Amino acid sequence: MRYNKLLAGVTALVAVATVAGCGTNNTSNTANTSNATTNTNNVSGNTSGNASTTANVQLAETGSSLLYPLFNSQWVPAYHKVAPNVQLTAASTGSGTGISDATSGTADIGASDAYMADAQIAQTPDMLNIPVAISAQQIMYNIPGVTGHLKLTGPVLADIYEGKIKYWDDQAITSLNPGTKLPHLQIVPVHRSDSSGDTFLFTQFLSDTDSNWSKTISYSTSVSWPGVQTAIGAKGNDGVVAALSSTKGSIGYVGISWLAKGTQAGLGYAQLKNKAGNFVLPTTANIKAAATQGAKHVPSDERVSLIDEPGANSYPIINFEYLIVKDDQPSAAKATALKNFMKWAIDPSKGNSSKYMTPVNFLPLPSNVYAKSEVQIQKIHG
Amino acid sequence: MRRVSGASKAADRIFQVATAICAGSPVVFLVAIAGIVVYQSIPTIQFMGLHFVSGTQWNLGSLYGAVTKVHGHEVPAGASYGALVFIAGTMLTSIIALIIAVPISILTAMILAYQVRGALGFVLSILVELLAGIPSVVVGLWGILVVAPWVSHHFGIFIKDILGFIPFFGGNVGSGYGLLTSGIVLAMMIVPIITSTTRDLFLQVPLLAREGGLGIGMTTWETVRYISIPYIRDGFVGAVALGWGRAMGETMAVLMVSGNAMNILPQNLYSPISTMAAFIANQLDSAQTDATGMAVHALSELALVLLVITLATNLIARWLVRPRGARRKVGVSR
Repeated sequence: MRYNKLLAGVTALVAVATVAGCGTNNTSNTANTSNATTNTNNVSGNTSGNASTTANVQLAETGSSLLYPLFNSQWVPAYHKVAPNVQLTAASTGSGTGISDATSGTADIGASDAYMADAQIAQTPDMLNIPVAISAQQIMYNIPGVTGHLKLTGPVLADIYEGKIKYWDDQAITSLNPGTKLPHLQIVPVHRSDSSGDTFLFTQFLSDTDSNWSKTISYSTSVSWPGVQTAIGAKGNDGVVAALSSTKGSIGYVGISWLAKGTQAGLGYAQLKNKAGNFVLPTTANIKAAATQGAKHVPSDERVSLIDEPGANSYPIINFEYLIVKDDQPSAAKATALKNFMKWAIDPSKGNSSKYMTPVNFLPLPSNVYAKSEVQIQKIHG
Repeated sequence: MRRVSGASKAADRIFQVATAICAGSPVVFLVAIAGIVVYQSIPTIQFMGLHFVSGTQWNLGSLYGAVTKVHGHEVPAGASYGALVFIAGTMLTSIIALIIAVPISILTAMILAYQVRGALGFVLSILVELLAGIPSVVVGLWGILVVAPWVSHHFGIFIKDILGFIPFFGGNVGSGYGLLTSGIVLAMMIVPIITSTTRDLFLQVPLLAREGGLGIGMTTWETVRYISIPYIRDGFVGAVALGWGRAMGETMAVLMVSGNAMNILPQNLYSPISTMAAFIANQLDSAQTDATGMAVHALSELALVLLVITLATNLIARWLVRPRGARRKVGVSR
């Protein structure tokens, strides 16, 4: 009897282990199943003589939390009317997860605020980085008694985040702002604690404008922030705005879609020195000016930084928002559906129109970038 | 005797297998999780060695730069993984949480067990248990909106004024995001666990013993102090260990109020810090963009260290409880 029980126990353990073992392969299994479904649909579509566009296709998007509102509340409902046979789903997981999901095939589209690194592309050369929109970022601060827009430069910001500039009345800051009375208040640099496209943008700006930062910290979606005693890491743009508004003397970088909420919370935002030496605000006109300059040097794979562009009015911290897709899709039906959606998304009269972009604070692509994105989209095949 | 039917035998067999699967699954899960974490950590263990637990600099390296080869491992240029800051953060926040939570829990449990009766006792007990059910992100939000400003403007300054002569208690109180706030928030999350367990323990103290205490002229406090507390001590150590484990593993609430410091050890009680659990949650997304994969291995090793420390505290707690007399054990066995 005891032996029987033991045997049952062992069998059960083996059974559980087998199930658990299957669990680790889960992602590839799901991907396979969905491929199989698409294939069947494709076959049935072909046999009935219809074009593959009428077969039901599922397109899954994961990634950037900044792009999520554009997908979830704008593009998904709008595109459902355009192509009812395509089931587009969106999930906010963070850019890094979006890229790895698209690479592994878990998702069809990975949304990312940052383009893929050279090392990643070398590993997975079949990934396309396709810009779909333009975003920007502002530097916000909480200094009691200071009204108007403080003038700041990349090197000064780098020194603040490295802990070299400790007080707001430091000579480096006062000399940039001759008319402004700055208090003797300790600076609290706030950075994003989570992985973030905003960190990528900000650190890229510091790397481009400050050679020491470029050598020591460099840029990424997470960097090794210098150990400054007062420094705070906060989660998400909402966390940064909360930390800024509750902490006197704080400074931080915030995505442009949070500008209104930040100013409502009593924060100021800075004029930044651009390449031409002018101090500029993140207005729509200044962001567009920078985007137009940046569009001139976009390479064919479109992985490019738009930081610190030339031009008198160019705002220095802007970027492309990317959709990351595989060029070789598992089936012709999926490839066609993906191509059609991507073309729709970047079309200035369709997905890229201000109707969808303005509510989420993005700007449409400049026209010559549109052409380059289209060439990349054509590379997608089944 | 009636013959057992085939169907009944089969049902019995299915029942046996089903119970065995269910009973076996926790073991399998523990082994599977530990196994995967260990396996994933191996490259970083080889790459960093002991420096992983003694180093204070955590750098994923230049993910957009060149890949270098160090000791046979491909890593992004400049990569170095030193987790001491996060280990210290986890230990310090959870210990502060225990220092706050243990007295509160004992006194609350005592009141709930001995002092309030009927409807009031019932309502209070329910409230304590409801506290345990508050999602940690809600506690974290409360931490950001209420505790952090309060620590920054009032409580931190109060502590500093009274205990500032002790090195770690002085210095800059700062923004309120940091060690003390994290400890307070964690304390609030573990008080319900410790309290409800301790209340049940107090209720198991034989009435005869307590009445005897009162009978020889002890006050209520003396009865608790000299009869109840010694009686429940073993179980109470277990309750504290349970709360400690929870405090070390808590992620979201700490992530929201800790200030998420990196590359710097806490300078005082108010310094921004980060814990292992919160740091893993923060960095995983970027780690996945590391083409060499080393960043994910590093976070795995961090998870391994957290797992080992949590299991170690549990084992130590068990060891503390073990060598007691059998009589008490009957009363408090759980």
